Amino acid sequence: MLNSLQSTWRKVFRRKSILGLCLIWMWSGSCRRASPPTIAFIPRTSGTPLWEPAHAGAEMAARSTGTKIYWNAPTREDDVQGQITLVESVIDRKYQGLVLAPDQALALITPVRRALSKGTPTVIIGSPLPIPPGGRLSYILNDEEEAGRMAALRVGQLLAGKGSVAILGVNPDIAGIMVRAHSLETTLAERYPGIRIVEKRLGSFNFPHDQQIAEETLRANPNLNAIVALTSASTRGTCSAIAHNPKMQFTKVIGFDEPDPVLLLRESELDSMIVQNSREMGLGAVKTIAAQLRGQSVPPEVRLKPLLITRENLASPQVRQALYMEWWQP
Amino acid sequence: MSVRTTIFGLRPVLKFGLIGLLGLAAGLLFFSKPVLNRLAGLPYQDSFAAGTADEWHALGGTWELADGTMRNESDERGAKLMAGSVHWRDYAVEADIQLLGLDGDAGLLVRSSDEENGVDSYNGYYAGLRTHDNTLVLGRADHGWIENQAILLPGGIRPFHWYHLKLVAVGCEIAASATDTLRNVTIPAAMSEKDCKPNGRIGLRSYSSGGVWRNVRAYQATFADLEALRSKKPSAESADQAKVPASPSSPSTTAESSEAGDSASVSERQTLVAQEIASLRMASTAHPTLAKVRGVVVLTSPALYMQDATGGAAVMEVQAAPLKVGDEIEVTGKPEPRDFSLVLREAKVRLLWTRAPIPPLSVTAAQAATGAFDATFVELDGYLVSKEVGAGNTMILGLQKGEQSFRAIMNPGRGDVLFRKLKTNSLLRFRGICVVDSEYTQNLTPFVLLLRSPDDVAVLTGPPWWSAGHLAAIIAIALILVLAAQLLYSRVEHWRLRAVLEERERLAHEMHDTIAQSFAGIGFQLQAIRNDLQEKNSAALRQLDLASELVRHSHDEARRSIATLRPESLESIGLLPALERSARRMVDGGSVEVVASSRGGERPIPVRTTDALYKIGQEAIANAIRHAQPTSLHILLDYEKDKVRLAIEDNGIGFNAGHDSLGFGLQGMHKRAESISAALDIKSESGQGTHVEVIAPLPPRFTLKVWPAYIWQYFQERRSNAQEWERTHPYSYRR
Repeated sequence: MLNSLQSTWRKVFRRKSILGLCLIWMWSGSCRRASPPTIAFIPRTSGTPLWEPAHAGAEMAARSTGTKIYWNAPTREDDVQGQITLVESVIDRKYQGLVLAPDQALALITPVRRALSKGTPTVIIGSPLPIPPGGRLSYILNDEEEAGRMAALRVGQLLAGKGSVAILGVNPDIAGIMVRAHSLETTLAERYPGIRIVEKRLGSFNFPHDQQIAEETLRANPNLNAIVALTSASTRGTCSAIAHNPKMQFTKVIGFDEPDPVLLLRESELDSMIVQNSREMGLGAVKTIAAQLRGQSVPPEVRLKPLLITRENLASPQVRQALYMEWWQP
Repeated sequence: MSVRTTIFGLRPVLKFGLIGLLGLAAGLLFFSKPVLNRLAGLPYQDSFAAGTADEWHALGGTWELADGTMRNESDERGAKLMAGSVHWRDYAVEADIQLLGLDGDAGLLVRSSDEENGVDSYNGYYAGLRTHDNTLVLGRADHGWIENQAILLPGGIRPFHWYHLKLVAVGCEIAASATDTLRNVTIPAAMSEKDCKPNGRIGLRSYSSGGVWRNVRAYQATFADLEALRSKKPSAESADQAKVPASPSSPSTTAESSEAGDSASVSERQTLVAQEIASLRMASTAHPTLAKVRGVVVLTSPALYMQDATGGAAVMEVQAAPLKVGDEIEVTGKPEPRDFSLVLREAKVRLLWTRAPIPPLSVTAAQAATGAFDATFVELDGYLVSKEVGAGNTMILGLQKGEQSFRAIMNPGRGDVLFRKLKTNSLLRFRGICVVDSEYTQNLTPFVLLLRSPDDVAVLTGPPWWSAGHLAAIIAIALILVLAAQLLYSRVEHWRLRAVLEERERLAHEMHDTIAQSFAGIGFQLQAIRNDLQEKNSAALRQLDLASELVRHSHDEARRSIATLRPESLESIGLLPALERSARRMVDGGSVEVVASSRGGERPIPVRTTDALYKIGQEAIANAIRHAQPTSLHILLDYEKDKVRLAIEDNGIGFNAGHDSLGFGLQGMHKRAESISAALDIKSESGQGTHVEVIAPLPPRFTLKVWPAYIWQYFQERRSNAQEWERTHPYSYRR
């Protein structure tokens, strides 16, 4: 009696065990839903009016391509080591793609090559690295030649083809800046021979340093008509130098990469800003990686035309969309 | 049904019951764990006032304890200090907060996880006081900031002023309130999310502005707490009062010191042209004049240091200004160039911008030792050589890299734990201000590093593993393992022998119950047949007598075999009495005198040795009784220091041991002696009796004195065995 009961119990238990294992397997299968591919997006810094639109563009592309974005950056644009550390950690975490706006052209070569060697599709945005595109590496760059040309045309328009101009913020650390400066100079020489470039100074990521350079430039050139500040720091430094020098209020500034509408509205000496279209870069970069993940071919290099932002077009739909920072909004 | 079957039959029932109980316990543990986790550590109250903050973990910033508060004197964007458990769910956190600068914010985090260095690199909720637009800001970050609420605080938000901030998270509802403690004005803010973050740590955070936190406490919260916070009405101050001008984001002069009593006129200072710091090294020391420089604050305590693209300088202020690391400042003062350093005396400081701290320059100790990086924020590596506590409880680390030695100085407070944990010979990476001033170096090292916070120290690699202590530990562990292996081996051998002995005993019982009984029965039957036969049938009687004799002989042999197999006497009474008993049994009814004696201190003999000696002794006794016709038999067991000697001596007819006398019995005795590494010696001559002696080694007594000798002997034996193996197997692949 007891033996038969025991036997029945064993059979039932065995069946239940098999059933339980099946249920566990089915449950784990249903829970192990394929997670969307995650793309690491590392801009030069984050939380700024220049790079938050890139975040918005990236999230928009992620929603349309079924991918996820990991977003992080150093707290300063010149924290090259911080960005290298971040890229290295991203490589180790095996994300399915990498979008990088390099803080420095040379120092990021090795980490990017390492990412490529691990098979990570990589898109460099903003300014290029000295690695030829192809394979898993693509570029979506700011058209620096066009940026320099736009600045030259604006200067020519402001000065009516005659006057003096200084170029500040030349920074060889960022590959595109040299192209930008070269294009500005050649366009001015070709289109406006009456405009003289009286000063050309190196810049940094340091506001006071760039302000000091601007002050020195203004002192050396008391009749200076315009300043083209090629970087964000030199734009702010130049505006500050002019604001503290009542005698130089007539000098107009054309800034770069500082798309803060408040600055444009507040600083009267700031005529206009030329900014890279970081939103389109973020959008395009994520779409490029998603296409690569699907096995589609992608263009090795794309150059995007920068935006000229003035007080007049600040409220235009095109500019508002380009500067839109609310990345979480669909 | 036997009892045994019943028990086995019930076993599955017990088994299932046990499994059920275990499952129930696991289920309870599983379901209660989140509850326990949610409650673990709550309520929480900081111990900043006691000078400890071991539970806090920094991500960016320069977090330090000072005057019972936690201070971040850095303008880093998104500096965080985290504590608590990621399992905390519904709770409130509150603290008193003071901002240290304009154009930034400072506040509290709840339900945070996945924190990293970076501006918005965490996943959780943040409520902060923002000077830029004088608001209480509330929102969510998921590696990107999503602002939900920005409520204007009447009276504005000013730096160096205490506010009380409270943040409650219950369910998917988040509420915050900010109170201006001086004006007693409170404003609430609330948000809710459909897909909310349900749990996470607490944290302190600042953005582009340093901050001071005190009285941080967290405790469980309910919807009632949430409602109480949400129902708070904004203060009824007039709209005019509420309109607070936005803080200037352009260069400000808030940190400028008073000009009163200044030897240089205000106009003189204003007309100065800013210079590079490096250029001030050429300044005249005979006629000190004012100079103006611009740069970034790299250190505020114990002294103010600034840096520009060309170098760094120490700043001796006329009046200390509330500055933070990362602030971009303009300094007007009298430069005092020294051998390797520059000091700006009687300095006036003007705050230009608040920005994130600059990254350090990576240099080597040899480069730093040149003095070229004085007053500069650098990063370098070094091996920890020493630790000491200096004046004012500062923590001083002695370091070495290459041929250069240097020191790192850390303020007391949060660094205490790190200081205790650091081990000498570790490779460390430091970020700090390189200073060559002899006031700090005391001319002991070429330079010192002044650290901003304990987070400026990173352990790259721990000390090398092959230290003297670890080697001693390895040797000790190896010895213990050898001993354990030896003991295990002995135990296994013991168990094996016991099994053999038990099997023999079983066989003896079987033989006694079957063969011996059968022989007795057969003998009885034969005797009965013989009794019934007539005397005239003499041939049959002879055959029966012969058969009876054979049966008796076989019975005797069986009894002897049983006596030989039955070893229980060995364990119970010992080797010598067992041999004596065996001998007496063999000579039972005869005239042979058996004498047994022992010498030396009796000691336990290993089972294996005892068994072998017993067999050898039995064989020797049996041989003597069977073949030597002795009148006396002496059994001697002699215990010596490291061996035991068994001697069996008889006064029988003896035999010629030199000739072909190695019968099966003697061969067995030799083999048994070899198996226990014993020496067997048989001496006999015709008419002179026989002397059988076996000397077996005994294991040493395990005392501290004999241990090393024992291990040495063990390895010697191993070595000699290996040599023997190689000698006997010259072509073996088993090297």
